[in-house]
Amino acid sequence: MLEIRGLDVAYGDYQVLWDVSIDVAAGEIVAILGPNGSGKSTVLKAIIGLCRARSGTIRFEGNDLARLAVHDRAGIGIAMVMERRRLFPAMTVRENVLLGAYPAAVRHDAEARLGWVEGLFPILRERGAQPAGRLSGGEQQMVAIARGLMAKPRLLLMDEPYLGLAPKVVLQINDIIRRINAEGIAVVFNEQNVNLSFALAHRGYLLESGRLMLGGTGQEMLHSDVVRRVYLGE
Amino acid sequence: MTAMPIALYIEQIVNGLVAGSMYALVGGGIALIYGTMRVLNMAHGEFYMMGGYAAFYLVGRSVPPVLAIPLVAGLLFLVGAAVQRLTVHYLLRQDGWLFACIAATLGLSIAFQNLALIVFGEDYKTVPYYVEGILRLGDIRLPLQRVLMLLVAVGTLLAMGFLLKKTRFGWALRATSQDSDAASVCGIPVSRVHMITFGLSAALGGVAGAMLAPIYSVSPWMGLPVLFKGFVVVVLGGLGSFPGAIVGGLLLGIVEALGVQITSAEWRDVFGFALMIVVVWARPWGLFGKAP
Repeated sequence: MLEIRGLDVAYGDYQVLWDVSIDVAAGEIVAILGPNGSGKSTVLKAIIGLCRARSGTIRFEGNDLARLAVHDRAGIGIAMVMERRRLFPAMTVRENVLLGAYPAAVRHDAEARLGWVEGLFPILRERGAQPAGRLSGGEQQMVAIARGLMAKPRLLLMDEPYLGLAPKVVLQINDIIRRINAEGIAVVFNEQNVNLSFALAHRGYLLESGRLMLGGTGQEMLHSDVVRRVYLGE
Repeated sequence: MTAMPIALYIEQIVNGLVAGSMYALVGGGIALIYGTMRVLNMAHGEFYMMGGYAAFYLVGRSVPPVLAIPLVAGLLFLVGAAVQRLTVHYLLRQDGWLFACIAATLGLSIAFQNLALIVFGEDYKTVPYYVEGILRLGDIRLPLQRVLMLLVAVGTLLAMGFLLKKTRFGWALRATSQDSDAASVCGIPVSRVHMITFGLSAALGGVAGAMLAPIYSVSPWMGLPVLFKGFVVVVLGGLGSFPGAIVGGLLLGIVEALGVQITSAEWRDVFGFALMIVVVWARPWGLFGKAP
């Protein structure tokens, strides 16, 4: 469903991605792995449009995304949970979640989806009237995922979903992601920790200094010499 | 200071509220733009000026004020949206946009003043009161024009508050002001929100210009002092806070009116700026702003 070919991204003169190609099939969970500064986040930002490709193509269900503005991508089935949640802190939890259903294409059945999302995250009902900025990191992550799901995505991007969360919350988030995936939603997330990632992901891609080093299933990657070299510098 | 009848003070407080409601309209517009785009609109006084001229010509062609005021608001909305789309829109995408926007809107301010000078001439235009008569409550006397100003300001600000709190667009505007990248990821067309916000801000300024036109006269330079008052209001309330600008505006109006009552008219601005200095000294982030 997602097809990235030969993606180059640069911030000014500083190139961060070189010739990256990634595929995601419908209903898959894919991890993008790599050390700090390897360009993992940039891949996700390029998919949602927050940074522009210098060359290469990104296709979603056959559509070339280069022609779509960031705000158009939510309406065609791509949602993103951004790094550090990025909720609207002065708005209530309920307002944050409902804003996820802003695109005209998904507005009409927002109420029904709100019911489903509130089932996944009981906290939305309990704290719906509170400003989102008052919640703890883990609670905010739940609201951020809920906001993403309100756009009725077929592809959910998650930028550093575990960042700054307690181990117990990480397990909770994993459980939620599995349930989301069971509904047929493909999930692409990035994370440094290889073991943690393959507790969840079906497949992964390894980036180093902006170049794709390896792609494969969890078993393949956990036993790969390349992974060991990238992380341990052997 | 000698003892004065209490009614005189009440009258001054009411006058201060009326003036303050106009400050709130102007400051609210500046706060709206600053809050959403972080742009300090130096041309805001000229939206106010255009509101004054629009009122002068509409009322002069015997359009009834009930119709003229909404027309002025609509016209200025279009002007504001066009100004944003043709200038600020392009600057926001570039490095150094912060200064570029200040410089560009300052340039627009000068250009609009000179355009008004060429088109409308340098003579001061006077606009008749929209309503004649005086409201008497006991010892308090209040011209109906001032009552109307207060009602229009309150109505306009309430409508704005409703828009921000209860409508889809208002949610989109608030989301954009808090995190524009996150808003666009949610599917909110941030550029369009910016353009409409500019239009709404200009409409608020235009309504203030139209309502004050019968009190002060209309001229190409009427915007500048109002811009300064607007900045005081926005700093008082907390940069970019719309409710803060309303409270700041009313407070400024009342403090000025009472200050003038115990001294004389030329001290008006001294009280206004002294109030700002005191507030900024005690709460640098303003009354409604967030402490860093």
